[in-house]
Amino acid sequence: MTPPDEAIRTLEAELERGRSLAAGARTLEDLERAEAAVLGRRSPLAGIQRSLGSLPEEARRRVGQRTNEVREALRALFAERRAELEAEREAALLEAERVDVTLPGRRPRPGSLHPLTLVEYRIVDIFTRMGYRVVEGPEVETEWYNFQALNIPADHPARTEKDTLYVDVPGHPDLLLRTETSAMQIRTMERERPPVYVVSPGRVFRQDTPDPTHSPVFHQVEGLAVDEGISLADLKGTLEAFARAMFGPETAVRFTPDYFPFVEPGAEMAVSCFACGGGGCRVCKFQGWIELLGAGMVHPNVLANVGYDPERYTGFAFGMGVERIAMALYGVPDIRMFFDNDVRFLEQFQAAG
Amino acid sequence: MRVPLSWLREFCPVDLGPEEVAELLTRQGVHVEAVLRPWEGLSGVVVARVVEVTDHPGSDRLCLARVRAGEAERQVVVGVRNMRPGDLVPLAPPGATLPGLSEPLAAREIRGVVSEGMLCSPRELGISQDHSGILVLPEEAPPGSDLKQALGLDEAVLDIEVKPNRPDLLSVVGVAREVAAGTGAPFVEPDTSVGEGEERAAELATVEVLDLVRCPRYLARVVRGVRVGPSPLRVQARLTAAGMRPLSNVVDATNYVMLELGQPLHPFDLARLEGRAVVVRRAEPGERLVTLDGVERALDPDDLLIADRSRGVAVAGVMGSAAAEVSDSTTDVLLESANFERTGVLRTARRLGLRTEASLRFERGVDPELVPLAAARAARLMVEWAGGSVAGGAVEVGGAPPRRRLSLRPERASLLIGMPVSGELVLETFRRLRVPARERDGAVEVEVPGYRVDLELEADLVEEVARLYGYDRVPARLPPVRRPGGLADSYAARRRVREALVRAGLREASTFSFASAEDLALMGVGEEEAVRVANPLAADQAFLRTSLVPGLLRALQYNLARQVRGAALFEVGRVFRRADPVEERDHAGVALCGQPGPAFPGEAREVDFFDAKGSVEVVLEALGLGDWALEPEPLIGPYHPVRSAAVVVDGARVGSVGELHPRVAARLDLPPGTAVAELDVTALSARTPVRVAYRDLPRFPPVRRDLAFVVDRATPAGAVRAAILEAAGGLADQVTLFDVFTGPPVPEGRKSLAFSVDFRAPDRTLTDEETERAVAAIVARLRERFGAELRAG
Repeated sequence: MTPPDEAIRTLEAELERGRSLAAGARTLEDLERAEAAVLGRRSPLAGIQRSLGSLPEEARRRVGQRTNEVREALRALFAERRAELEAEREAALLEAERVDVTLPGRRPRPGSLHPLTLVEYRIVDIFTRMGYRVVEGPEVETEWYNFQALNIPADHPARTEKDTLYVDVPGHPDLLLRTETSAMQIRTMERERPPVYVVSPGRVFRQDTPDPTHSPVFHQVEGLAVDEGISLADLKGTLEAFARAMFGPETAVRFTPDYFPFVEPGAEMAVSCFACGGGGCRVCKFQGWIELLGAGMVHPNVLANVGYDPERYTGFAFGMGVERIAMALYGVPDIRMFFDNDVRFLEQFQAAG
Repeated sequence: MRVPLSWLREFCPVDLGPEEVAELLTRQGVHVEAVLRPWEGLSGVVVARVVEVTDHPGSDRLCLARVRAGEAERQVVVGVRNMRPGDLVPLAPPGATLPGLSEPLAAREIRGVVSEGMLCSPRELGISQDHSGILVLPEEAPPGSDLKQALGLDEAVLDIEVKPNRPDLLSVVGVAREVAAGTGAPFVEPDTSVGEGEERAAELATVEVLDLVRCPRYLARVVRGVRVGPSPLRVQARLTAAGMRPLSNVVDATNYVMLELGQPLHPFDLARLEGRAVVVRRAEPGERLVTLDGVERALDPDDLLIADRSRGVAVAGVMGSAAAEVSDSTTDVLLESANFERTGVLRTARRLGLRTEASLRFERGVDPELVPLAAARAARLMVEWAGGSVAGGAVEVGGAPPRRRLSLRPERASLLIGMPVSGELVLETFRRLRVPARERDGAVEVEVPGYRVDLELEADLVEEVARLYGYDRVPARLPPVRRPGGLADSYAARRRVREALVRAGLREASTFSFASAEDLALMGVGEEEAVRVANPLAADQAFLRTSLVPGLLRALQYNLARQVRGAALFEVGRVFRRADPVEERDHAGVALCGQPGPAFPGEAREVDFFDAKGSVEVVLEALGLGDWALEPEPLIGPYHPVRSAAVVVDGARVGSVGELHPRVAARLDLPPGTAVAELDVTALSARTPVRVAYRDLPRFPPVRRDLAFVVDRATPAGAVRAAILEAAGGLADQVTLFDVFTGPPVPEGRKSLAFSVDFRAPDRTLTDEETERAVAAIVARLRERFGAELRAG
């Protein structure tokens, strides 16, 4: 066998050896060593390369060409295997970083507004968008602002100690915890001249023993509009707009006459039950309607009490209970839950708005 | 007010069903709360004739009755023996239902004899409270017929919520008038005709009224020769359906007319009125009276009494006494129909703590015109039900005032309602209401009947027009608001505070505004500084709260008692102090304990002082307050002595923050580390400079150096940080404390504070020399001021 033929055979053998070494390499380091063995300076292939000069021209060309082909083939072989091993190594590294995606997310501790605050904000925001200003006043009121000026006479049952909580400050026998936010009607009108468009949210108090529908402390939002030419029609339009903004555009409203000493004519507004649409369910106690608020045209005596001319100015007022609306809106069965502050209750309103 | 529909139809014969009448009335402002069917639970009971009554073979007490209802004859076991052969009785055969029973009757064996159903007492049928024997029926209903139909028990009753302004609706006739006005159906006046005997009432009794202000009208009629006994069954059933107990024919006649017309009446046994005299007078000082409920009452000279020649016999308009009460032996009755002044009855009823059907009506106002009509009607019914005869005429003192006249301008109605209202519509309204009205000088003049006490002003008449026209038909429009709306500053500030605390991971609570004496003591507030509630609902609500902390701590306790791991709560609300007279401020309170909220596995920790401090920081940030400090001075209240501080803004104390004193926490069953904070939002929002102005962003890179200093353990980190900023002469842009370390190699009693300092100048990149000079200045300053050593590395 002539040297050129032997060289060719060696090349073929090296190609085979390289193939099997590459395939057999389990790590990138193994592969490195194997590549050095078949392609490095001391490899048979390098030896053949170096000996090419001593071969006759025709043999040199033949052996040289094959040497190049084998080298390229081996390089490709190793590159391919390296890519495989690198992918394996990366996969192994990533696998080591695997997390349990079902673990809880890391997050700041969630806070939440009280459901009564949420409902109050919704009510207040609807009216401020309609051009009403928020006014606030004291929770300890005088009999004048809470009763007298609102046309509630001294012998009215609401004024007894069975209904109203009085406070005991020597020298001030007329002080009480306001029983309705209507007291703000008088304070506002005393301070300002028409046009007056205000809402007054706040806490009110009654001498009521707590039960599922009564709480001695609860919340109201009062509204008042006094201007020239204000009518029952304006009251209806305003409260209808409110009801649709609050409970949805499909809401139907029903106005019926009602009595409150500080309005005349007086009205009650009911809305079609937003839980059942009016068919009757637990939320509306199978009535189809939810009685929502009391309202009416400001009584001429009330206007006169603040020095407004009832012939020139007319107005409407309305008042609604925040708890009542929250109970209907969220289906809360017992008013006392709002004041228990059970976090398992409070957290239910996380997503409410 | 409960109005049986059949009764209402006597005065307004409408075809509408009960639900339709209820809907009509409600839309008219007469709010029907419910349509009741009191005998809903009664079915299958039939009229039966007693054939034979025999002894029960196995019992001395029981007997057997054979009864025939139509074709069938049945044997029933009965516990009483008041029925006789030939009587008509109510038979509840197997399958019948009774109001008091949860299941239909079944035939059952009683001491060896099968009872095919039962015979019923009035109480078992829900007709009256009488349970003394089997109800013996009048000879009206044929045996075998349905008892409910025979006695009119298939009745619907309107349960009406009567508003205080409409006392006329505390009567069947008043409600019938509304139905007539709403439907256009006719209104039938009650029959007040009465056949009178020879004798004259004036010869049989005298009436003297000593206080015509408190008793503007008093009328007495006399009925002689009555036989006191039960009223007709239909009457008893009707009274029961209307919510009153049937008592006897004489008393029932007065109650019946009160329910029908709204005029309270009182029957006296004429023979027991000394001197056959009625004297209406005030109580004497120290006078006492035993009212019909058996309670001896001390009277006030403001109380009005009905008396005879020697003693009080009734508290006027409230309740009678046993002294001259009608009894089984009564034969002659003096029937009182009077008008008592409203507020006087109210005062007396309140003083005595008595609320009766009569006082309820007088308190609200009874039509003085009713006095003679009601007396005549009751006398008529009394004779019809109890026999006897009515003496001629009446003894009367006082009278009804003239009717009020009011005027309504149609243009005023148009303005208030918001639609054109014609004079014709106004006249039509009052025609339907049967209120006299006529046009006069372009307005409508209305003569107000005595029963409409609510019609006092033009606006009241406008409501009548609107409500009979129908609120639903009034147009709807929006008023011409001409200014933008918005929040009050105080309201907006509280809203910012709430939102900040929610972002900080706290849940909003809402607690009552009351405080107990213990709450005040807990906060170190004297009772004389707090506002006392005059009529508290409970002893632990005797004051108004001076702080939000006690209520929030109670909320924590409530939650811990329900096995939650912890809670982070806040409240924004009003607190109260005695001033001249009361000072109200808005506070924000925070309370945290345990492990509130979800923590990442392995990262859960108990809250401490710094959680409460963090909530203070977010509130102050939300209000735009940068210049604030915590001053670790001792606080009054439940605080840990060295884990608490006052919050100071611009030199003024605006709040406090701290862990609870361990003893307080233990006493309240709260875990160690429970922390609270409270801020005076009223004070904070008064100094809020919420003005945001842009600052240039830094254009040159910082040089960052980590510097660790060893100082005495008592040295406040905040003071060290402030000294660093000061010593760097404006070159320290950010100074962040990133580690606090005690223990080896740091010597005992010392601690290491590690700061990361960004040195930066606004106009150039700092050179190494500049930075080193600044570091050297810091090191020198800290050594001088705190004895601080720079740690190597």
